[in-house]
Amino acid sequence: MKQLSTHQLITLFASLEGGWDVRLPVRLPDGTRAMGKLSDAPPALLGGPLPSKPTAAFFPQEEQVFMASEGEIRPSPTPERPLLVAGFTARDLECLRFIDRFFATAPRDDLYFRCRETALVAAVTGWCGPAGSFMKMAQGGCDLELVRDQDEWLLLSYTEKGMSVTRGVPHRHDEGRLERLRQLSTTATGADELLLRSAAALLRDDLIPDSFWREIGDRCILCTGCNLVCPTCSCFGIRDWRSAAQTQRSRIWDSCQLEGFMREAGGHNPLGSEALRSRRRIHHKLAADLLRWGEISCFLCGRCDAACPTGIGIVSVMKEMVSRYGKTTTYMTQEGVSTVDRSSRIR
Amino acid sequence: MKRTLTVCPYCGTGCMFYLVSQGGRLVGVEPSSTHPVSRGALCVKGWNAYAFVHHPDRLTTPLIRDHGEFRPATWDEAIATVATALKSVQERHGADSLMFASSAKATNEENYLLMKLARGVFGTNNIDHCARLCHSSTVTGLTEAFGSGAMTNSIACLDDSDLIFVIGSNTTEQHPLIGSRIMNAVRGGARLIVADNRRIRLSRHADLHLRHNNGSDVPLLNAMMQVIIAEGRADRAFMESRTENYPALAATVAQWPPERAAAVTGLTPEEIVAAARLFAGARAAMLVYSMGITQHSHGVDNVRSCANLALLTGNVGRPGAGVNPLRGQNNVQGGCDMGALPEFYSGYQQAADPLVREKFARGWGVSSLPATPGLPLTRAMNAATEGRIKGMFIMGENPLLSDPDQAHALRALESLELLVVQDIFLTETARLAHLVLPAACFAEKEGTFTNTERRVQRVRKAVDPPGEARPDWQILCDLARSAGYKEISYAAPHEIMAEIAALTPLYGGISYDRLEPHGLQWPCTTSDDPGTPILHREHFTRGRGRFIPVEYRPSAELPDEEYPFVLTTGRSYFHWHTGSMTRRTHLLDREERSPFVELNPHDAARMGVREREMTQVTSRRGSILLAARVSDIVPPGVLFIPFHFVEGAANALTNNVLDPESSIPEFKVCAVSIRRVP
Amino acid sequence: MISSPSPLSPPLYLPVTCEIISVTDLTPHEKLFRLKRSDGRPLGHLPGQFVQLSLLGWGEAPISVASSPTRGELFDLGVRRAGSLTTALHLLESGDTVGIRGPFGRPFDLSFLAGQELLLISGGCGLAPLRSLIQYCQDRPERFGTITILYGAKSPDRLLFKDELSSWEASQRFACGVTVDSSSDTGCYDGTVGLVTSLIPPLTLDTGRTVAVIVGPPVMYRAVIAALKQKGVPAERIIVSLERQMQCGVGKCGHCSIEHLTCCQDGPVFLLSEIEQLRGAL
Repeated sequence: MKQLSTHQLITLFASLEGGWDVRLPVRLPDGTRAMGKLSDAPPALLGGPLPSKPTAAFFPQEEQVFMASEGEIRPSPTPERPLLVAGFTARDLECLRFIDRFFATAPRDDLYFRCRETALVAAVTGWCGPAGSFMKMAQGGCDLELVRDQDEWLLLSYTEKGMSVTRGVPHRHDEGRLERLRQLSTTATGADELLLRSAAALLRDDLIPDSFWREIGDRCILCTGCNLVCPTCSCFGIRDWRSAAQTQRSRIWDSCQLEGFMREAGGHNPLGSEALRSRRRIHHKLAADLLRWGEISCFLCGRCDAACPTGIGIVSVMKEMVSRYGKTTTYMTQEGVSTVDRSSRIR
Repeated sequence: MKRTLTVCPYCGTGCMFYLVSQGGRLVGVEPSSTHPVSRGALCVKGWNAYAFVHHPDRLTTPLIRDHGEFRPATWDEAIATVATALKSVQERHGADSLMFASSAKATNEENYLLMKLARGVFGTNNIDHCARLCHSSTVTGLTEAFGSGAMTNSIACLDDSDLIFVIGSNTTEQHPLIGSRIMNAVRGGARLIVADNRRIRLSRHADLHLRHNNGSDVPLLNAMMQVIIAEGRADRAFMESRTENYPALAATVAQWPPERAAAVTGLTPEEIVAAARLFAGARAAMLVYSMGITQHSHGVDNVRSCANLALLTGNVGRPGAGVNPLRGQNNVQGGCDMGALPEFYSGYQQAADPLVREKFARGWGVSSLPATPGLPLTRAMNAATEGRIKGMFIMGENPLLSDPDQAHALRALESLELLVVQDIFLTETARLAHLVLPAACFAEKEGTFTNTERRVQRVRKAVDPPGEARPDWQILCDLARSAGYKEISYAAPHEIMAEIAALTPLYGGISYDRLEPHGLQWPCTTSDDPGTPILHREHFTRGRGRFIPVEYRPSAELPDEEYPFVLTTGRSYFHWHTGSMTRRTHLLDREERSPFVELNPHDAARMGVREREMTQVTSRRGSILLAARVSDIVPPGVLFIPFHFVEGAANALTNNVLDPESSIPEFKVCAVSIRRVP
Repeated sequence: MISSPSPLSPPLYLPVTCEIISVTDLTPHEKLFRLKRSDGRPLGHLPGQFVQLSLLGWGEAPISVASSPTRGELFDLGVRRAGSLTTALHLLESGDTVGIRGPFGRPFDLSFLAGQELLLISGGCGLAPLRSLIQYCQDRPERFGTITILYGAKSPDRLLFKDELSSWEASQRFACGVTVDSSSDTGCYDGTVGLVTSLIPPLTLDTGRTVAVIVGPPVMYRAVIAALKQKGVPAERIIVSLERQMQCGVGKCGHCSIEHLTCCQDGPVFLLSEIEQLRGAL
């Protein structure tokens, strides 16, 4: 274990900029936090999950696939310096693990790994959450973990890459302190996880009527924000821009909430109603991905709930599902345990 | 990776977001978490607002028409040619043969400069912009009633309202972050009345959905007021202390019992009574309207009726209430504020007032400013066909698609001796120009936009303009200098704002350093004025609120045997106006790729038209081909067509009849026929 | 989890150039493009697979291969003019080049079909992908039992591969049934009029040996499946090939997902029993 003050940590990041394209949580002019460069804005390691998805470092909103001119197709060049991306929470790392696996599964998506392959991923955990709250430790799943405790940062390296960037930092032995933080991390789990499992079970058992999805659809203004901020959303479309000299092909984030997402040229649309599209957004994460990948692909990062203008992010929708259609369901919310007996609700 | 805080270039909601750029190219958008309107969210257009900026169709060099064809030119040649040509028209036909069309897409500083150019350099009050087509009725009507033609309250007031009355606004589609705020208010317990004969998304959440006939807003509102007065629900105390001319209103609306209004509106008397009771029974009722109210040949009367209803119930000057016109364009409020209007200098200072003219003449260092009243845009188009307007300078507008009666607009533009268009793409209008000047878009320049709640916000440069394109303000300065006005010189837009503040009491306290991070709401008169979230709190801008009773005037063209359908036009959620930006944005284009007409299933069955089939829609002015969208969004007898698509231009059909006071065209009602194209 | 790329795997999203060898009008709306990889290598596909056809400036579209791999290094794509890309493609001529990625997707399971009596049912454009299988059966006659082809189109002028249909009808290998929804537009058609489903009830099927394959427009599946089940063909012996708007072809873009499956990787060829219960599949 190594430990540094915030100032020393930022100095360390700054010193790495020669070899790495360093990105970490920064505070933008109006207080919005984002994954940015030290040269652009002051660091903002405190505050918990960033509003935009950290996986955008490897799967950005728009990315060039190739440039073609005079019959020659040139793929996007590999960046000069590898990425060092700090700011993942423990839940973000679960998302990263999921989307890594998604893009790695054959056929492997070489575009995603163009930057991912060589990147160093750093988690930011400990006493650094919103309003000074505790963020669960990652304990792996990244190259480097920065755990905040008592105004200091404990540096834990899990890979060769992680060790390489902390090599100069002196080692200190304080297993007791680390153990306490680990202990806190185990008790800090499970806030909404029971809710997640209850909602997934309702979908698996096909207990959610279409009328529910129509209601959710009524409340959706098609902003697509839920998809665009979701760290495990991976849908994209292809866009060509042709000028006289060349054609640029890019891939761009897409959203299953849009009517045109699956509409075919002939007009047929397998996701042809608002209700089907609202269902897809939730069902895909909680049921379809569970079947295909063996795990639910929502890790409760909370971003879609924050970005939704009308309050139908996945956590809100799951709460409504469980409270309305769960038989007798106990689930945990941030406020505590609540029990809902379906029979007591008359609809 | 760089992030630049700026304002969305689409609607008047004024969300702020960060443009993400890398290596000089935009690669995405991230919402501002702390902005009071966007609050970490955006609509689909906002999320995609970066995506047209580097489109290969962007104009990159000035173009001069030579033997019928465009050829690239240098800036020096282009500026000199434009200045000389404008001067030549001015000298040969008089200053008032020139028309300057400013842009609700451009910044405040640029609107101000074009206004200065028109009046100070070319000596004409013929300056206007597309506010003429959207909220000129509001400016006229609300100024008369309240003394200020802007949204009285703030967007955040929706959180404090316990009744929201949305009339003629498809808010979730046209001001999505305001529409969603209305939906949230309803979930929080507020009641909602939607008056719109289309089954818009908000109507699914409404306590009462009034599907009144197009153009029957005045009878509906008069009858609501009749009920409120008859049932003793008017706010007597407010009327007595804050308003004038009540007896005249009472006399007029007394003639409109619900039964009479029911016959005109197509509603039941009970619906009207229910709406009246809901509205008058609210602690704080917020009236929200948009183009469904303004775009009529009686648009000003509609606005007056809205103002009357709010005055009658004491719903002005307090939180959660007010008369709230939602301004369409990102900076249409600012375009008006900056005096890109024939009758006003910046801050609504009357052009007819010699003292105002004297003040600006002194401020600008010119000997005199024109006294002749200027022409509104719509009347200037008419004047062009009659040969009275000879030269037109259009900055960032596309009247060939956005003006009513496209054939007439084409005739007007083609009859000009000189047409100069300054834009970011070669629009349909620019294709007709003699000279085209390539401009920078919102992401490539500094400035300010003013949103619908009067919030003046900073627009910032994220990337360089393509090729030789330049910010409008720089082009206008060069043009002014080339035309002989040598005194014009600004190092940057903040210096233009300093001049605006010095000459405009409404903006007197606005300076760039004070606009961090999320702007100020005008009136903001001094450097320590915190701005004004709610207007008319202690007293109305004009003193007392004035009731202006209005009688019902039917729309100019009603259905008949030959043209049996009412056509109403508007926008779709995914596109912006004439589509020059959104149709070049991959996802938005993918969602709505081609023109369509909404047609009620009953009518469709009667006409033998099926979903997606090609139809021909015809009015007395033109005929277009477009696909049928069979939907109960529209009631029987009504067709809806969005005006984005050049290949099925709704404005080939619309009626160029103008409100006599505001000169707004009647985009919302004309008579058409429809048939299936085999 | 982050596996290293195989040095042999080509870049996933870069198309290879193909030359258009010939273009044939199939109907007023459909053309057949015969292509050849410019590097001379065969496409390496199996019947039922598709390619991502790439047109610079227009993007990509998934197109089924309409010819059998037994026919050499040239391959055919039957393309209906529907969107902007296919409209641009229809303007191309022999000698022009296009890009291709693929072949992608699960092909028809030829070992499952081997020895079976095949009932190949298609509608409209669906005959193009099925032609790949029909040609394969023609070239490997020893592997299959009797083969019945049922084909329906909107109208006589919308029938694809008319000459080949005649030759299949004439051949001993195949039994053919062709029908059109309506023949009002043209006078010289003297064939059957009616939906393709109407051709099913009269058939005599050995339901224990018959495998039905359905490729057609989305509206066709439910009706044909119902007619087949009526005849006693179980879902395990019905194969469907589904059309979706794939954008990547490699299971990443999300545009063709059917619940937990992707049409481009797990399909487009499915056993009916695999997808029957999935919402939005049919």
